[in-house]
Amino acid sequence: MIHITINGKVVECKDGEMLLSVIRRERIDVPTLCHHEAVEPSGACRLCTVEVTKPEWDGWCDYVTSCLYPAKDGLIVNTHAPKVNELRKSILDMYLARHPKSLKIKQLAADYGVLATSLETVVDGNNCILCTICTRICDHMGFSAISTVGRGHGKEVAPPLDMAPADCVGCLACAKNCPTDYIEYETGNGRLKIWNKEFEMVACTVCGKTTVTKEFAEHLSQQRDIPFEYFEKCDECHRKELSATMGKIANWEREVRS
Amino acid sequence: MNFRFIVKPELCIGCRSCELACSFTHAIENVRSLTRISPIDGGFKDLWVPVTCLQCDDAACIKSCLVDALKRNPVTGAVELNQEVCVNCMACVAACPFGCAILDTQHDMVVKCDLCGGDPACAHFCPTKALEWKPIEVKKKQAV
Amino acid sequence: MQIDSPKKLKDIQKSFTEKSSKYPKKILICCGTGCLANGAMKLVDTFRDTIKTKKIKNMSVEMVKETGCHGFCEQGPLVIIEPDGTFYTKVKAKDIDDIIEKSLKKDEIIEKLLFENPVDGNKIEKYKNISFFKHQERIALRNLGKISAYDLDEYISVEGYKALAKVLTKMKPDEVIDEITKSGLRGRGGGGFPAGRKWKSCKAIESDVRYVICNGDEGDPGAFMDRSIMEGDPHAVLEGMMIAAYAVGASQGFIYVREEYPLAVTHLEKAISDCEKVGLLGDKILGTDFSFSVKIARGAGAFVCGESSALMKSVAGEVGEPRAKYVRSVEKGLYDKPTVLNNVETYVNVPVIINKGADWYAKIGTKKSTGTKVFSLVGKVRNTGLIEVPMGITLREIIYDIGGGILDNRPFKAVQTGGPSGGCLPEAMLDLPVDFDSLTEVGSMMGSGGMIVMDDKTCIVDVAKYFLSFLVEESCGKCVPCREGLWQLHKMLEKICAGKGTMEDLDKMEKLSENIIRGSLCGLGTSGPNPLLSTLKYFKDEYIAHIKDKTCPAGVCPELITYEILDNCTGCMACISACSFDAISGKKKEIHTIDQDKCTKCGACVTVCNYDSILVS
Repeated sequence: MIHITINGKVVECKDGEMLLSVIRRERIDVPTLCHHEAVEPSGACRLCTVEVTKPEWDGWCDYVTSCLYPAKDGLIVNTHAPKVNELRKSILDMYLARHPKSLKIKQLAADYGVLATSLETVVDGNNCILCTICTRICDHMGFSAISTVGRGHGKEVAPPLDMAPADCVGCLACAKNCPTDYIEYETGNGRLKIWNKEFEMVACTVCGKTTVTKEFAEHLSQQRDIPFEYFEKCDECHRKELSATMGKIANWEREVRS
Repeated sequence: MNFRFIVKPELCIGCRSCELACSFTHAIENVRSLTRISPIDGGFKDLWVPVTCLQCDDAACIKSCLVDALKRNPVTGAVELNQEVCVNCMACVAACPFGCAILDTQHDMVVKCDLCGGDPACAHFCPTKALEWKPIEVKKKQAV
Repeated sequence: MQIDSPKKLKDIQKSFTEKSSKYPKKILICCGTGCLANGAMKLVDTFRDTIKTKKIKNMSVEMVKETGCHGFCEQGPLVIIEPDGTFYTKVKAKDIDDIIEKSLKKDEIIEKLLFENPVDGNKIEKYKNISFFKHQERIALRNLGKISAYDLDEYISVEGYKALAKVLTKMKPDEVIDEITKSGLRGRGGGGFPAGRKWKSCKAIESDVRYVICNGDEGDPGAFMDRSIMEGDPHAVLEGMMIAAYAVGASQGFIYVREEYPLAVTHLEKAISDCEKVGLLGDKILGTDFSFSVKIARGAGAFVCGESSALMKSVAGEVGEPRAKYVRSVEKGLYDKPTVLNNVETYVNVPVIINKGADWYAKIGTKKSTGTKVFSLVGKVRNTGLIEVPMGITLREIIYDIGGGILDNRPFKAVQTGGPSGGCLPEAMLDLPVDFDSLTEVGSMMGSGGMIVMDDKTCIVDVAKYFLSFLVEESCGKCVPCREGLWQLHKMLEKICAGKGTMEDLDKMEKLSENIIRGSLCGLGTSGPNPLLSTLKYFKDEYIAHIKDKTCPAGVCPELITYEILDNCTGCMACISACSFDAISGKKKEIHTIDQDKCTKCGACVTVCNYDSILVS
């Protein structure tokens, strides 16, 4: 264990632990848009930037993204230094110019006092903030069905060649973890459509309720050695089944005792 | 000392105190969470079965999780879901053969029983001791 | 024959020298990409065919050498007749008979093929007397234009692989690192990080596997230093890498070359396979315990892949995006193993340092920036091309002595150094010594060695806009300040160029730049605002002219200028036929007029007018 100072308070943490996790543990509010605990940090949104220094640095300060900066003994961290706040404001200003319709961005920007962008608004700006949480999760889950395409200002998230991605199983992790709810999907009638690919859902053999797609269930069943029949009933019917089984035993016990 | 969560359906009166205890204990920012335990009609007269996670040894939920959000707590024995890591893919909800990983639609997150980190609130509030958190004695092997 | 001992190297050197001394003269034909494009290959074939078919006495096809790039591409194709060093420029296939008859059979000079000094119009006969070459000191480019680019034996004949033999048999890895450290060699890719220190920290990391990578992803527009070296002297690159690998304890190397450099790939592949055949690459090199192999990794030509962490991701087959570098690549680089990444030019300096000694090398250049640096000198100078000069030389010497001054005797305005993320320096900075630290101090940088000279006809706001547009295009788009911030800066510059800027825009740009520099993930973003900031610092008046007076003093920005035909128009109609938009009308021998509605301000008329009758204001 080592000691670092965050906003004047001495804190104990592991050597090499990323600063952001220490900051979060201390319940200090540092905004992030591209951070997700399931995947490796990326450093794309730059909002978690903090000011770091050490006594031996002679007053020199560095500005680092806390999600990627390993804690070292004696480090002095300021999560809301004036220059850090100014940087966050500026980044949110840029975000606001690019994604004028995103509620999430508007809200976060307002938190930092940016009510309107000072820059040129991108007219056709969509709500994808390129945090790449979706692509990183998709990679991490072993599908790599979507990725970033292109570079610079024209970069976007898309399946290969903009066609229905062969590797997508329709788990919806991309859509559900999108901070700006940009990724669209449709469900209904036992079907699911995402990234222009249609899926059939596994329907509960008892009540017909659907939870996951057939492809996802098959993937999990094969890759993770889970009997496919587990997927063929919904959670509620599974619970009823369990209560019936336990009920029989309990009833027997009750009769024996009485 | 080892503790075990013991369910005795024959004692359950279906009062649903456990549900309230669970909901309040797992509340997020003062909004009640979906209960992880529910007394369900066991199919016999006046018989309720409090259904909750069995913390299976070879747990399908752990196997189904592609992002390692589900891990067993070595102290309590509970399979815990790390909400920060969870990506809401519903794999565990679909895979659990007992239906005990459930979607809390209000908070839009998957939840499951974590034994309250080693002191289940439901057991405290159960008026009939249908639910108990009891130390179990490890029987010593007797010398022959 | 296997080259399995240092002695074999000497044997080859001896036999090669004997073989080539059979013929008194050599014909060196530059086969760099520039000269090839101008038809150098045809010259080579014609020379060989002529010598073969005519069966000229004392001549053989072996005399004809395809060499690497001289750097004087605008004069190509270049032919040099050795041993006299007669330098022929812009040679055509029809000149070959003449060259054979006069310059090879006899010692005559062909006047019309000689280089004409653009400054005074004098013809210069010898290679070494041309001012473009005279002021250079060639270490990295030592073999370019002198030896065949893909003959291993010839490379060995000019003491090639001698340094490798020396380190493998006489030096310990630590001694090699010490020698490089002592020489003061700094990374030539732009950062200027001391090579010896990099190697030392890589070696210090506990690991079973280490890698050395050569960065040949030269992305700056107009820069072709590394390209020429890889094309013209591939063995020197390999030798430098091998020495680095031996020093840090690596057994696998990668050369990262962009897809746009097919010739470099071909020559490197040939060099690698030649070395593998004779055992200079592979197991137990030169009979020692050192084993090393090299693979070529080809990049698709993204500018950001020149950045070390993006490059390593690209080598590993992932998307070339930089990662945060709080963990250095010497610790966790390629495949998370300790990795030494150096630039092509850095590696080719290494064998020379080993052969001639660190002290010799450290004496060249300045105290903190030792050695020489290759620059690609382009723009409005008389002599453009590739040059290698000692560090500490002034910009003035480069531009006026080597470059021969500004084209058409126009006034000098600015010089842009360091590639797209470098800065523009004004006339007041011309006596600045060119080294890593001095350039950084004044808001530009050394970069990988691009140098663009501009005259008064260049609009500085337009230049800043151009570089920003390049960076916007090449930003990988991963982090917000670079992706969005540079785009915004470019938008503001577009506004200013269109005469719609305000003075607040200038402050806004400066503030935004500050945050882009502080907030960006990699070097592309942190140096991205440089072209803007340096021009704003030294040429603020020009920005103000665009904003307040709505004029472009250099007459470049189309929306701020008009073309007018003056009274001295002779009515020659040249401009009428040059205009693609039918904007100019008039009769022969009458003053023409420009229809302002149709004029697109392309400047075609100005180019063809012989009477300076078109006024741009």
